[in-house]
Amino acid sequence: MTTGAGRLERQRREGGRGGGRGEPNRLFWAALAAPGIIWLAVLFLVPFYVVLAIAAGQLNQLFGTPIAAWNPLHWSAGNLTGVWHTIVGKGSFVGPDIVRTVVYTAFASGISLLIAYPAAYFVARFAGRRKALFLVLLIAPFWISYMMRMLAWIDLLQTDGYVNKTLSFLHLVSHPVNWLGGQSYTVILGLVYGYIPYLILVLYAGLDRIDASLLEAGRDLGLGRVRTFLRVTLPLSRQTIMTGLLITVLPMLGDYFTNQLLSGTTSTAMIGNDIDGDLSTPAFLGQGAVLSMLLLLALIVPMIYYVVATNRSSREASS
Amino acid sequence: MHPREGWQADGTPPHPGLSRRGFLKQAAASGLVLGGAGSMLAACGGSGSGSAGSTPLTSGGIPLPRPDNPVSWPIFSSNKPIKSGLTPEKGATLKIYNWVAYVNQQVLNSFAKKYNCKVQLTTFNTMNEALAKLSSGQVNFDVFMGVTVDVLGRLVEQKMIMPLNHSYLPNITQAWTDFTNPFYDQHWQYTVPYTIYTTGIAWRKDHVPEDPYTMPNPWAMPWQPKYKGRVAILDDYREAISLGLMKNGIYNLNTTDPSQITQSQQALQTLAQQTNMKIDNNDYTEVPGGQIWIHHAWSGDIAAAQGYMQKGVPVDVVGYWFPADGKGPVANDTNTVLRTAQNPVLAHLFLDYLLDLPNVLTNISFNGYMQPIAGITPQRLVSDGILPKSLMSTVVLPSYFRRGVSELQLPIATDQLWQQAWRAVSHGI
Repeated sequence: MTTGAGRLERQRREGGRGGGRGEPNRLFWAALAAPGIIWLAVLFLVPFYVVLAIAAGQLNQLFGTPIAAWNPLHWSAGNLTGVWHTIVGKGSFVGPDIVRTVVYTAFASGISLLIAYPAAYFVARFAGRRKALFLVLLIAPFWISYMMRMLAWIDLLQTDGYVNKTLSFLHLVSHPVNWLGGQSYTVILGLVYGYIPYLILVLYAGLDRIDASLLEAGRDLGLGRVRTFLRVTLPLSRQTIMTGLLITVLPMLGDYFTNQLLSGTTSTAMIGNDIDGDLSTPAFLGQGAVLSMLLLLALIVPMIYYVVATNRSSREASS
Repeated sequence: MHPREGWQADGTPPHPGLSRRGFLKQAAASGLVLGGAGSMLAACGGSGSGSAGSTPLTSGGIPLPRPDNPVSWPIFSSNKPIKSGLTPEKGATLKIYNWVAYVNQQVLNSFAKKYNCKVQLTTFNTMNEALAKLSSGQVNFDVFMGVTVDVLGRLVEQKMIMPLNHSYLPNITQAWTDFTNPFYDQHWQYTVPYTIYTTGIAWRKDHVPEDPYTMPNPWAMPWQPKYKGRVAILDDYREAISLGLMKNGIYNLNTTDPSQITQSQQALQTLAQQTNMKIDNNDYTEVPGGQIWIHHAWSGDIAAAQGYMQKGVPVDVVGYWFPADGKGPVANDTNTVLRTAQNPVLAHLFLDYLLDLPNVLTNISFNGYMQPIAGITPQRLVSDGILPKSLMSTVVLPSYFRRGVSELQLPIATDQLWQQAWRAVSHGI
């Protein structure tokens, strides 16, 4: 149901239609958006077209450098065909890597959510005056580069590293675990560790904004703590969870560095490794560009879902 | 392709830990250079180094350099050496392009001081990356360091490097005799030698009872399923496919035979299934650290093992096998002056500076790789405590360049076959 006040408000947002000042307002808002649009064009659309031109282009055989096909009339499907053969058919090796990427990302995202949600919930609801301190602690990992954090894990997970020493001290293992010997669980844990701060921050921001009066209303209506959480907090944080997962899933799907450092074996290779390998190998730069495009297309699906879901949610909230 | 691949842009190795610099400072103090070499490279007929069948050609129609086919590259009329007797450019900034962590900053500083100039170092991580940047024409470096022999033909034919004027390079006489006339660049028209190294197998004697020196085929040592998760090979398409070739008994590391390349690929894929092998260039940390027990390795990396040992574990437990008869992969890098050089005289002087013994010592103290300059014997390395006796096998002997096999420039189509095979093995790892 839309109230009269709601209609007026909407009119105001749409530029004061009928108020005589619509056109200048639209220009003003468009001018404000211009830097963002230029930024997007220069740093996204242009590079995107460059990758596309390389993916559909040829190769300088002598130096292995790509020859971009800027004119769509000159595009070639050679690289696309080459990539297709690496994904399906006899001798294909990228196909299993794609499946592995999806599985690893699913596990890592699930584990991240299980860890991040309670942490964010605690800070948002129960940290009280120490909220700022906890926030600083949550942000602290960002002070160190992702690479350095992963390199630190290499030392921790060494055969004679602190993790194995601790496990041995607690008599949980009889022999040191070969964490870095190409184990799937090490890669998944690495992904969790690497991206969980992003998820916690997003979840915190969303949970902190939930109106406490809604929770009190739930309690007043006779819900216990658990049911209040399940019936009020969780539904209200659904959008936040989706945003947080999107922010972590997207980089996880394209990640290659974690895998390279913590495993370094083909049995844990992900699609990001294939792209990285192609982009650093003469003769396969074009195919690397095709793989990048395919990954981008795959990532657009959850993005579209997110936009649709967000719009739907906004409509529901305003109605 | 190269021992320096994977190092970080800030000059730190791919894996944190004790820097090689500390360990090798001692080496510099005592001088870590092997010398006393006799005839070595010129027209030597290293078995298996040539191509199968007729000699393959470069894109410009010149036969590819092989030990049994020395090449004297052409001097193009549009790319001639600089004149003799020129004075060094004054107040200039010498721009150097080099692998990450492959030259000692102290050497650069002392050169700058001596010639009253600035030195600007830019680094790359892979030779492919370097070639792509140079071929773009958007850069104007003076010196291109660490040039691998297998790309030399491309650089010459594309006129990307400048022929050298020998009058500016008197220290070339300090190089091992035949490096002044190597098969890949007869009369050293375009290059001067830089580092030397071998490729072999490193292993932990305390975990692996097998001794490669008594094995019928030591190159097959990694193919042991019982060491699953403890095996690694070098992350380098030429080195890795070569390992598969040698495991199959093929010592032509420049083979153009597709079936041999495919068989090597299959051998490496079998290795992956059997051992879940790692693919990296961290041989110098993983073997001393006990994480990997059998590692396809470079000699210079394992020579530095004692700086990376687990606490309380003696360096004697690390072994490095290279064929006792010298019939294994041996390589050297070179230094060149780029045609785009704005300071060609200084560039020549810098190349010469890097051939001067005291500077060589300083340089080796940083990067750990020997340079073929006269002066030091393997015995001295051991007696000075620089190199453990158990790792004497990491020393590069001049005779290796006579008997060893080299990974040299391939015809373009063959190179793609090698790359394709490696891609299917490595998945980009």
